[in-house]
Amino acid sequence: MSTKGVEILLVEDNAHDAELTLRALKQRNLANRVHVCRDGAEAIDFLDDMSEGGGGAAPKVILLDLKLPKVDGLEVLQRLKRDARTKTIPVVVLTSSREEPDIEKAYALGANSYIVKPVDFEAFARAVSDVGLYWLLLNHPPQ
Amino acid sequence: MISIERKLPLFAIALLLAVAAAQLAIGYGRVRQASRSLVDKRLPLAGRVLADAFQLGQTRTRITALAHNPAVVEYLRSGGQRGREQALTAMRAIAADTASNLGLELRDFSGRLLLRSGRFSIADSVLVSPGSDSARYGPLLRRDTTLYFAIASATGAERGGGIVQLVARLQLNDRTRKTLTGLTGGDIALLLGNATGDPWTDFAAVVPAPPESVRTSRAPIRYDRGGEALRASAAPVAGTPWVVVAEIPSRLVAAPAREYVRSMAPIALLIVLVGALFAWWSSRRLTRPLVDVTRAAEAIAEGDLGTRVPAGRDDELGRLARSFNTMADRVSQSHHDLEDKVAERTAELESFSYSVSHDLRAPLRAIHGFARILLEDHRTQLDPEAERLLGVIDQNTRHMGQLIDDLLAFSRFGRQAMNRMPVDMNELTSTVVEDVRRAEAERNGHFDIEIDTLRPAYGDPALLRQVLSNLIQNAVKFTRGRPQPRIEVGSSAEGKGEGDQTVYFVKDNGAGFDPRFSDKLFGVFQRLHRAEDFEGTGVGLAIVKRIVQRHGGRVWAEGKPDAGATFYFTLPGKES
Repeated sequence: MSTKGVEILLVEDNAHDAELTLRALKQRNLANRVHVCRDGAEAIDFLDDMSEGGGGAAPKVILLDLKLPKVDGLEVLQRLKRDARTKTIPVVVLTSSREEPDIEKAYALGANSYIVKPVDFEAFARAVSDVGLYWLLLNHPPQ
Repeated sequence: MISIERKLPLFAIALLLAVAAAQLAIGYGRVRQASRSLVDKRLPLAGRVLADAFQLGQTRTRITALAHNPAVVEYLRSGGQRGREQALTAMRAIAADTASNLGLELRDFSGRLLLRSGRFSIADSVLVSPGSDSARYGPLLRRDTTLYFAIASATGAERGGGIVQLVARLQLNDRTRKTLTGLTGGDIALLLGNATGDPWTDFAAVVPAPPESVRTSRAPIRYDRGGEALRASAAPVAGTPWVVVAEIPSRLVAAPAREYVRSMAPIALLIVLVGALFAWWSSRRLTRPLVDVTRAAEAIAEGDLGTRVPAGRDDELGRLARSFNTMADRVSQSHHDLEDKVAERTAELESFSYSVSHDLRAPLRAIHGFARILLEDHRTQLDPEAERLLGVIDQNTRHMGQLIDDLLAFSRFGRQAMNRMPVDMNELTSTVVEDVRRAEAERNGHFDIEIDTLRPAYGDPALLRQVLSNLIQNAVKFTRGRPQPRIEVGSSAEGKGEGDQTVYFVKDNGAGFDPRFSDKLFGVFQRLHRAEDFEGTGVGLAIVKRIVQRHGGRVWAEGKPDAGATFYFTLPGKES
C-alpha cells in the first residue's frame, strides 16, 4: 500500500459512513487522495509505514472516528500525538458521540477539532466538506 | 416539655418531701398521743395523792381524842358550869399544836358557843348529830383572802354533851403551791375547793371554781378557762366535802410533739436535699448517654455517617451505645455499598447511552444519506410516488435522529453532576430569550415577551438555563400563528416562610391544552398536540421536570385549549 500523496486519512469502521464521507468530499473535489482505514490498528500500521518509509508527505488531515474495532479512536489519537513524527498532523474527531467525557478526552489528547456527525445527510455532507476545505485549503501546516 | 434529666430529680424531690411530711405528721401524732395518754395517767394520780394528803387523819384523831377528854366531857355535861379551867387546858394543848389552827370551840348541840380557845371564831358550827363517833369536816369558807374550815366531833351524848370544833386555816402562799406542784412534776397545777362550788384555791391564792363538769368528773376531760385549753381530772377528798382538781394546759401536752417536729424537720430537709442531689447526679449519669446517642442520631440523620458514641459502660446504656454504634456501622456500610452500586449503575448507564448515541445514529445516517443519494442521483428514473416515499423516509429519519438526541439529552440532564450557586434569573432569562429570538428570526418569526424582575434562585446555571430555554421555546412554538403572540415570565415567593421556595412561571397566549391531560404533559414522549400542528419529540417538558426535581422543586401547568398555557416551577431561593 502506498502512502504517498495521501491528503486525507479517513479512519472509519462503518462502510456506509465512509461512503457518505467520501461522497461529500468528492462533491467538493477533495476525494482524490483519500485513504480509508477500517479500524484503529490499520490506521496505526498505515502511519507507521509512512514514517518508516521515510518517503511521502504526511496526510494533511486525519478524520478519526472514536468507536473503532481493535484499537479505539482515542488510543489512536494518543499514539499519534505522542509520536514526534505524527504529532503535527491535524486530527479531526468525526464521531457520533456527543458525550462530554469523549469531547474532553479528545481535546486533552490533542485533537484539533471535534465534530459530531449529524444524522441529517445534508448537514453531514456540509460538515465533512467544510472540514475538508478548511484543513486542506485554508490551513497552513508547519513545513 | 420537661426533660428526663429534670423530671427524675423533681420526682425524687416530690417523693422525698411527701415521705418526710408523712413521717413528720405521723411522728407528731404518735408523740402527741403518747404524751396525752401519759398526762391522762398522771392527772388522776396527782389528784388522788393530794386528796389522800388532805384527809388530815392526825387532826381528826386529835379532835376525836379531845372529845373524849374527861374534863371536856364534864364541862359540856354541866352545860358550861363546871371544870372550865380544866377544859381550857386540854383545849390549848391542841389549839397551839400547829400554826394553821385558829382556835377550838365547845358548843352545845344547838350550836351555842360555850367556850373558846384562841381569837378566831366562826358564826356557825359544823352540824354534828349527838352520838356521831368520829370527827367531821365542814366546807371551805372564805374571809377575804383567807380560806378556813372546821373539824367537829360530838361528845358525851348519852348524858348530855356537846360539840368540840377546831377551826383551821389553809396556808395559801407560793411556797405551798410550789411544794405541792413539785410533788407532781411541776407541770400539773393542783386546785382544791368545795365539790359544790366556791371557794377554790390553787394553794397560793383564791381562784374561781372550775366548772361543775370538771369538779364531778373522775376521768380526765378537756375544758376552757379564759380562752386557754386545759386538761383536768378531779378527785374527791374522802371524808370531806372537798374536791381536788389536777389540771395541765393542753399546749404543754402537745409540747413534746411540737418539739419532735422542730428537731426532726431539719433532718428531714437534709435528707430531701441529699436525695435530690443524688437523684440529679444519677439522672445526669442516666441521661448523658441518652443525650449522646440522640446527638449522634441527629448527626447521622444530617449525613455525618462517621458519628459514634462512647460505649464504655457495662449496663443497659452501654448496650444501647454499642447497639447504636453497630447500627451506625451498618448504615454507613450500606450507604457506601449503595454509593458503589449507584456509581456502578451510572457507569453502566453511561456506556449504554454512549452505545445508543453512537450505534443508533450510524445506521440512521446511512438510511437518510442513501435515500438522499437516491433522490439526487436517480431522480429522473423515479416516478412522483417513489419520490414522495423517499421524502417520507427522509422525514422520519430526521425525526428519529431528533428523538435520539433528545433522549440522550434527557438522560444527560438526569445524571450530570450539579454545580449549585446563586443564580441571577433575570440575566439567565435574557440570554435565553436572545438565543430563541435569533433562532426565530431565522424562520422569520417574532414574538413579544415581558419579563418581570425575577427573584434570584440557587441552583446549577447550565441546567436552569435549559429549563428556561425549553419553556420559552415551547411558548414561542405554541404562539406561532397567533395574531399577537405574547409571552410573560415572572416570579413570586411561595407561601410564607415555606422553605424559601420561589415560584417562577412562563405564560403564553398560545394553543393551550386540555387540562384533563395536564398530568401527561411532563412525561417522556408525551404529546398533547399532533406532530403536523406542532413539531417536537415530547422530551422538553420531561427534561424541565427532571431538572426542577433535582433542585428540590415542583412543576405544574395550567391551561385551556386555545386560551394559552402557564407553566410553573419552584426553586430554592438560597442554599439549604
